[in-house]
Amino acid sequence: MTAVPVELRRRDEVVRVPTSPGHMPELLPLDAGEQYRFGFSMSVCIGCHSCEVACAEQNGLPDGIVWRRVGEVEGGTFPDTRRLQLSMSCNHCLDAACLTGCPTNAYEKLDNGVVAHHADECIGCQYCTWNCPYSVPVFQPDRRIVTKCDMCLPRLGEGLLPACAGACPTHAITVEPVNIEAWRADHAAADMPHLPSSHLTISTTRIELPDDVPASTVAASDWSLRPEHAHWPLVWLTVLTQVAAGVSITASGAGDRAAAAGLAVAALIGSLAHLGRPGLAWKALRNLRRSWLSREVALFGVYAPIAMAAVLLPALAPLAALVGMAGVYASARLYIVPGRPAWNTPLTMFAFAATGLAVGPLVTGHEALGAAGTVAALVVLVANVLRLSGDPEVSRGGTPELYRHRLRGWTVLRVVLALTGLLALTAGLVAAAAALVVAGEVVGRWLFYVTVVPANMPGSFWRSSAGTHK
Amino acid sequence: MKVIETGRRLLGLDHGGDRYQYVDDPLRGPVHASRQADRWVKSTCGYCSVGCGMLLGVRGERVVTVAGDPDHPVNRGRLCPKGLSEHHTLTAPGRLTTPLISGEPATWDAALDKVVGEFRRLLDEHGPESVAILSTGQLVTEEFYALGKLARLGMGLAHYDGNTTLCMASAVSGYKLSFGTDGPPGCYDDLEEADVVVLWGANIADNHPLLVPRLLANEAAEVIVVDPRVTKTAQLADVHLPVGPRTDVTLLNAILRVLLDEDLLDLAAARPLVSGLDELLAHLDEVDLVQAADECGIALDDIRRVARTIGGAERCLVAWSMGVNHSAQGTETVTLLNTLCVLTGNIGRPGASPFSITGQCNAMGTREAGFTASMPGYRSYDDSSHRRELAALWGVAEERLPTERGRAYPDIVNAVMNKQVKALWIIGTNPLVSFPNREVLEIAFRRLDLLVAQDGFETPTTAVADVVLPAAIWGEKDGTYTNSERRVSRVRAAVAAPGDARPDFDIFLAIAERWGCRDELFPGWSAPRDAFEEWRLVSAGRPCDYSGITYERVDAAGGVQWPCPADDPTVPLGGTARLYTDLQFNSADGRAVLRSVTRQPLRQPPGGEYPLLLNTGRTVEHWHTRTKTGRVPILESLAPEAWLEIHPDDARGLGVRSGDLVRVSSSRGSVDRLRARVTAIVRPGEVFVPFHWDERCANRLTTDECDPISREPNYKQCAVKVERVH
Repeated sequence: MTAVPVELRRRDEVVRVPTSPGHMPELLPLDAGEQYRFGFSMSVCIGCHSCEVACAEQNGLPDGIVWRRVGEVEGGTFPDTRRLQLSMSCNHCLDAACLTGCPTNAYEKLDNGVVAHHADECIGCQYCTWNCPYSVPVFQPDRRIVTKCDMCLPRLGEGLLPACAGACPTHAITVEPVNIEAWRADHAAADMPHLPSSHLTISTTRIELPDDVPASTVAASDWSLRPEHAHWPLVWLTVLTQVAAGVSITASGAGDRAAAAGLAVAALIGSLAHLGRPGLAWKALRNLRRSWLSREVALFGVYAPIAMAAVLLPALAPLAALVGMAGVYASARLYIVPGRPAWNTPLTMFAFAATGLAVGPLVTGHEALGAAGTVAALVVLVANVLRLSGDPEVSRGGTPELYRHRLRGWTVLRVVLALTGLLALTAGLVAAAAALVVAGEVVGRWLFYVTVVPANMPGSFWRSSAGTHK
Repeated sequence: MKVIETGRRLLGLDHGGDRYQYVDDPLRGPVHASRQADRWVKSTCGYCSVGCGMLLGVRGERVVTVAGDPDHPVNRGRLCPKGLSEHHTLTAPGRLTTPLISGEPATWDAALDKVVGEFRRLLDEHGPESVAILSTGQLVTEEFYALGKLARLGMGLAHYDGNTTLCMASAVSGYKLSFGTDGPPGCYDDLEEADVVVLWGANIADNHPLLVPRLLANEAAEVIVVDPRVTKTAQLADVHLPVGPRTDVTLLNAILRVLLDEDLLDLAAARPLVSGLDELLAHLDEVDLVQAADECGIALDDIRRVARTIGGAERCLVAWSMGVNHSAQGTETVTLLNTLCVLTGNIGRPGASPFSITGQCNAMGTREAGFTASMPGYRSYDDSSHRRELAALWGVAEERLPTERGRAYPDIVNAVMNKQVKALWIIGTNPLVSFPNREVLEIAFRRLDLLVAQDGFETPTTAVADVVLPAAIWGEKDGTYTNSERRVSRVRAAVAAPGDARPDFDIFLAIAERWGCRDELFPGWSAPRDAFEEWRLVSAGRPCDYSGITYERVDAAGGVQWPCPADDPTVPLGGTARLYTDLQFNSADGRAVLRSVTRQPLRQPPGGEYPLLLNTGRTVEHWHTRTKTGRVPILESLAPEAWLEIHPDDARGLGVRSGDLVRVSSSRGSVDRLRARVTAIVRPGEVFVPFHWDERCANRLTTDECDPISREPNYKQCAVKVERVH
């Protein structure tokens, strides 16, 4: 073996060596009022994916975890066809939705503009993966937390370009300073077809489009529409808390109040299974100022003991009902985010309320109210599907597609369960009706989670934009 | 303790942060700790022929990372995704670590005894035609040189060829016909120095990605891409000519005709440099431009515009790759590309050259030093002075040297079919995926008495072999590669091969030992350098002159381009950038030969039962038959399956939408459950499938029609039908 040692020449390959004459990529220092951002030139990107591999190597990412992705958008007619490649990682937004929604304040906007994620603070609730309209943060199963691009912070600290930019053979990826206020005023250069609008979070990635972008384009990933995570612990949490609140509101005796308390406690315990790091669940209370998730946790956290106390102290029952309803409201609000277009509607609030109204009163013996709630739940479902139908963007039009085609059997089951529940009710079979309506709501909630199509960057032919899971 | 650990894990108190620490690497700056190297080994990438310089980062006994070599003149520190993940091939599953006989582990002694014994028996009983070798473009030059001597002089085989015939044979044959010998005249700097760059059937963005920065660096150049698909490369072009299938010859004749018509050729200057000019002029006189444009599917105005651009260029580089070579008319297309360059004065000057972009990392090495299409040093089998010269250099009787090259790869397969060849020794190639018309090859393999496969990994071919010889791979062995621009670069072992796997060089010497020819043919040899030193002497004075190239000079210059004669002070440290700068060609009279070529139509044009035309090719994430890249998870995740590109008009007619599964069939075979990608980067009536996969193997469909001169298969066009499956 002739392992000839190489004379070490510190990192010239990334910062100072020109790959093309006259073009020396280097990291410029920041002036006051500036932050770093990615620049991307679509006209010189050749779709080689070196950036993705370099990122995985730099960060030791396990198989299946990607912080930088290359998507494709195509339009035009042969031979004037254009296939546009978009390489994107975190956009280090000015109004980062991941940061705003994070219940533990695990995110921090650093002085240099990097939206940094602190692993120690992350409890793996994955709320940021819903909030980011580009689906940038990913849940990393081996760590049971979310991870994401930090623009190679350790490298930036030494004046080095991130691995992706350093590896790009054609210098399509750059890192450059941007004036924060000027960008806030005009960030149109962060937009391109099939990419969520930059105004949602003020994405800072500057995308240089070629001159000949076709008027009409499709994303290469559009075919690979598929159901999202079921989030069973959240199906459990939301259905149970809503039913508990419904019971609290309509409770007429200690038995009802005990049922509400039991449901509330069970809901909370079960919801822990959703967290990557359940032992640190308490950290979810850290962002009451901004995060609806923190508020949901706080309200249900208060609701459960009040509901328990109300079993013995009937005077607390109205308070329990009020806090329960507030919890359901907070719960619904946390789903109303641009990153999940199918949920991003007041209908989500009605859907959650309807579940509580459909089942709670059946438990407490208010059949008419329960029937009204059951019908309301179906109406809300139909309204949401109609709202999204026919939308060419997959993150919107994809949801009715899933309800109507891929998951048609489950959709039918959900409706049939509710309708037979109503039938059973008219026949006076209240217990059977309650069971059928509960089953309908559970299937409905499962559908709620799996039919959502995340907002995302356009994917590649093989890598779907619809979700981060396999 | 275990209970506490489990509890901590379930509660998520530990997020594995200790596994995600960064360390400050002296060479590259902060990097994930798992990629920290404690020493770096300078080498060259083992995938394609661009020949990127690489540093292999080793920690302990493992290559944990790679980096582009910032000092290497080819890639200047950058790599493509295959290169960036190449270290993973060294630890990938599926390595062959012990010899196998009939699938059972065996000792080297047993395996080599069987191979040598069986080969000898067959040769004794049935003569020198009964055993043949199919080799590769992936070994180091030193190994090719050793193997050539072993095969032709030691074992006396009549038939020895490599998968380079599936790849660059048409370029070789075309160069020989035009200029007298093989040898790409240009270099990569020409991409940066040309006014006009023509990329003909070369999708460098997918297949030679590190040439793209060289092209983009030349902002002033007009880039013309000739390709039937709107490839990533075509999209970088100023002008894209979407040439119709098998109409390259028509297009080239039309361009030449326009150049003549518009007086853009300096025939007076060209005449003393060429032969065949008058015949060519008469031939071009017959070209009907309107008809030609129609045949090519390109507007005549576009052809005129491109011809004027080429004719008006001060420096024009005409580069091509598999789009030209993989054709039953590949050789003659190459001669026409050469003719175009010679007549427009675009040869032997910076930025002005015909230039073949090769496929494999060391296809050039076997072309130069091997013993297949030529004898070592581009010597001709039929030239007695060449045979005499070699015999003297080697100290063997001239009669030992073959007088003809023997069968080319496809003809070896034919000879297996009719049982003339009874044993095959396959080295570093995977014909079951890469050879056209797979079913015939499968039948041929079953007719063999003995199939020996030598490879680093388990492949579909090693799976059916009688004897498997486990070889070291890139990163585990020493030697040199020669890239497309004739640049010789060093390849180094950074780690030892796993198990009992051995460098191919050692395997060849061990077989020579058993054959009884080691001392005669390889006297005192123990390492690749011994072969290199002899090869330097053997190549001296030849067009591919290595005599001035030493391992030390290669290191000092970051690669040396041949010809590099010894003791010639006029040759720069890095060798000779371009051939034919004196406009003296390697033909007998020193002139370039202009050939008059007529287009041959497709043997089986689309129509009837098979209405679509299938084009096959590659994608950036994979290399050849995925023996390596299929085992690198990130590359697999980027391109996990083969797919079919089909135009929206055709897809609509078939009721196929993107993502649907389809069956593609030709008269030879069919491929089931290919994922359809409806895209307008292919022309209506044409479909495209990448060939890399064993599952859904495009070569079950392709025709075994070959170029009559180079014997290179016609991979790019065959008639198929597409059906939706559920």
